[in-house]
Amino acid sequence: MFKTTLAAGLAVFALSAADAAGATELVVIVSARTPVTALRGDQVAGIFLGEGTAFPEGGEAVPVDQGIGSPLRDEFYGKVANRSPALMKAYWTKMIFTGRGQPPREAPSSAAVRRLVADNPGMVGYIERTALDPTVRPVLVLK
Amino acid sequence: MPQCRRPVSCHRHARAAGVAARVVPRVVTLVLLAAGTSAQAADGPQWTFGGFGTLGAVHSSMKDADYAATPLSPGSAGHTRDWAFDVDSRLGAQLAVQLDKRWSGVVQVVSDRTVVDGFKPHVEWANIKYQATADLSLRVGRIAAPMFLAADYRKASFALPWVRPPVELYSTMPITNSDGVDATYRWRTGTARHSTQVYVGGTSVPLTAEYSAHAHMAGVNHSVVIGALTLGGSFAQARLKIPGAGELFEVLEQFGPQGQALSERYDVRSTRTTLLSGGFTYDPGNWFVTGEMGRVNTRSMLGDQTGAYLSGGYRFGSLTPYATLSRVRANMAVRVDGLDVTHLPPPAAALGGLANNVLNDFLREVPTQDAANVGLRWDAAPNYAVKLQFDVVRPRDGSSGSLVNVQPGFRSGHAFRVVSASVDFVF
Repeated sequence: MFKTTLAAGLAVFALSAADAAGATELVVIVSARTPVTALRGDQVAGIFLGEGTAFPEGGEAVPVDQGIGSPLRDEFYGKVANRSPALMKAYWTKMIFTGRGQPPREAPSSAAVRRLVADNPGMVGYIERTALDPTVRPVLVLK
Repeated sequence: MPQCRRPVSCHRHARAAGVAARVVPRVVTLVLLAAGTSAQAADGPQWTFGGFGTLGAVHSSMKDADYAATPLSPGSAGHTRDWAFDVDSRLGAQLAVQLDKRWSGVVQVVSDRTVVDGFKPHVEWANIKYQATADLSLRVGRIAAPMFLAADYRKASFALPWVRPPVELYSTMPITNSDGVDATYRWRTGTARHSTQVYVGGTSVPLTAEYSAHAHMAGVNHSVVIGALTLGGSFAQARLKIPGAGELFEVLEQFGPQGQALSERYDVRSTRTTLLSGGFTYDPGNWFVTGEMGRVNTRSMLGDQTGAYLSGGYRFGSLTPYATLSRVRANMAVRVDGLDVTHLPPPAAALGGLANNVLNDFLREVPTQDAANVGLRWDAAPNYAVKLQFDVVRPRDGSSGSLVNVQPGFRSGHAFRVVSASVDFVF
C-alpha cells in the first residue's frame, strides 16, 4: 500500500519535473558559414565534455557555454549528458585537476552565444529555439 | 639484518615504483618561462588558477594499528589517535596556462600526509602539453599516472562519490605520478568515444627515512564512453628497485640452494612489476554503479595481489547515499616456512630463524582484506561536498591488510569499524 502510494508520488513528481524542464526547446547551433548540418546528441556531448574536439567531418569544434547557473545550461547538460549542475562540477574537477581539459568558455546570454557562434565558424553553442536567426544553423534540437 | 625490521609499513610503500625527480623543477621553470615569453602574443596566454582540498576526520576502532588510505599517505587513525585528521585531509593548488591553440602548461602542488615529510607540499605534477591535432596530445614532464579508473583524480576528492577511493584496490598501487612523456589519442567508433594513452617514465618514492623505491615504467590505458557507460582498462610494467633493502637476501643466499631459491623468489632489489586493471561506471544521472578489479604483481615479497570493488549510489537532489563492497587477496602464501634450520649448528640456526621472521613480517603485509561501507554525499553548495562514511573492515588469513603502524598485539581476522567525515571543496 505504502509502496504504491510512494511510486505514484514519485511518478507525479517526475512528470511535473519533466514538464518544467520541457518548457523551453533548446537548439544546438553552429555558424551559418560552417558546412556542418547535423550533429548527434553523443557528438554534442563529446564536444562539450572536452572528450572529442573535432567535428565528425573534421575540423576543430570549440564549445561555448551559457553562464554558470543559467537554467538553459542546466537543462542542456541534463539532456545531452544526463548530468546535474553538481555532477558537472564534479566532472570538471576531474578534468581540470588531471590536466585533461578546461571547461568551455562562457557567454552571458543566448544573444551573446549566437553572436559568438555566428562570427566563429568552429564554434558550437546552444540557445532557445526562439532565439534562432539566419546567422546560425541549428544542428540538433533538444526536446 | 636488523635494518630490515624497519617500520612495518615500509614494504607496502615499496609496491610503489620510481625514478628521476630532477626533471620536474626544470619543467616548472620552462612552463613559467614559456608563459612569460609569449605574454606579448596578440591573443595573450590564458592563465587559470584553481585548487581543491579536503578536511577529513577519521575514527577507527582498531587500536593495534593505524588506518590509512594508501601506504604512501600513512594516516594515524586507530592506534595513534582516536580521531585523526591526516588520513584524508589535503590541499592542492594548480596554475595552468594556455599559450595558444597548441601549447599549454600546468603545475600542481599538493600538500597531504607523506611518509617522511609530514604535510610538506610537493609538486604532484608539472608538464607541458602539445596539442598536435584536435585528437592527439603529447605531454612531457611530471604527469598523472592513471593506473586505475579514478587514479589520476584520486586526490581531488570532490570528484569522487566516496570519502576516498576503495582502499582495497587503490592502496595496491599508491603511485600517483611519473616523470616522463605520454601521448593521448581520441577516436570514435559509432557512438563510442575512445581515448588511448601510452606513457613512459619513472619515479622515486621515499618509503622510510632510509629507503626509497625507484621505478622505470611504461603503460597503456584505454577508456571508452558509450552514453552513460564508461569502460576503462590499464596495463603497466615497471622495473622496481629498492637499493639498500638487500640485507635479508644477502643473508638468505648464505644458506645454500634453499636460501638462494628463497632469495630469488622474494628479492626486492630489482623486480619486474606488472599491473593489469579493468573497470566500468554506469551513470545515467540519477544513480550510478561502478566496479573495478586490478592485479599488481611485484614478483617479490612486496606481494602479488588482486583487489576489486563494486559500488552504487542513488541521487536524491543534493543527497547521494552510496554503498560499496571491496576486497583484496594475496595471490601467494603470506606465511612461509622459509629456511629449514633444524640440522644447522646453533649460530647459523639462529640467523636463519631471524631471516625467516623478517621474511614473514614482510609477507604479512601483503594485504588480504574484506570491507564494506555505506556513506552519504551531500552537495551542500556548488563548490562544497560534505561526506559521511561508515566502513567495516576485516584483514584476513594472517594478513595485516591495508593497516599501517601495526603493533605487536595485532591479530588478523577481526573486523573493525571506521567512521569518516569530510568536507571537500574546489576553487
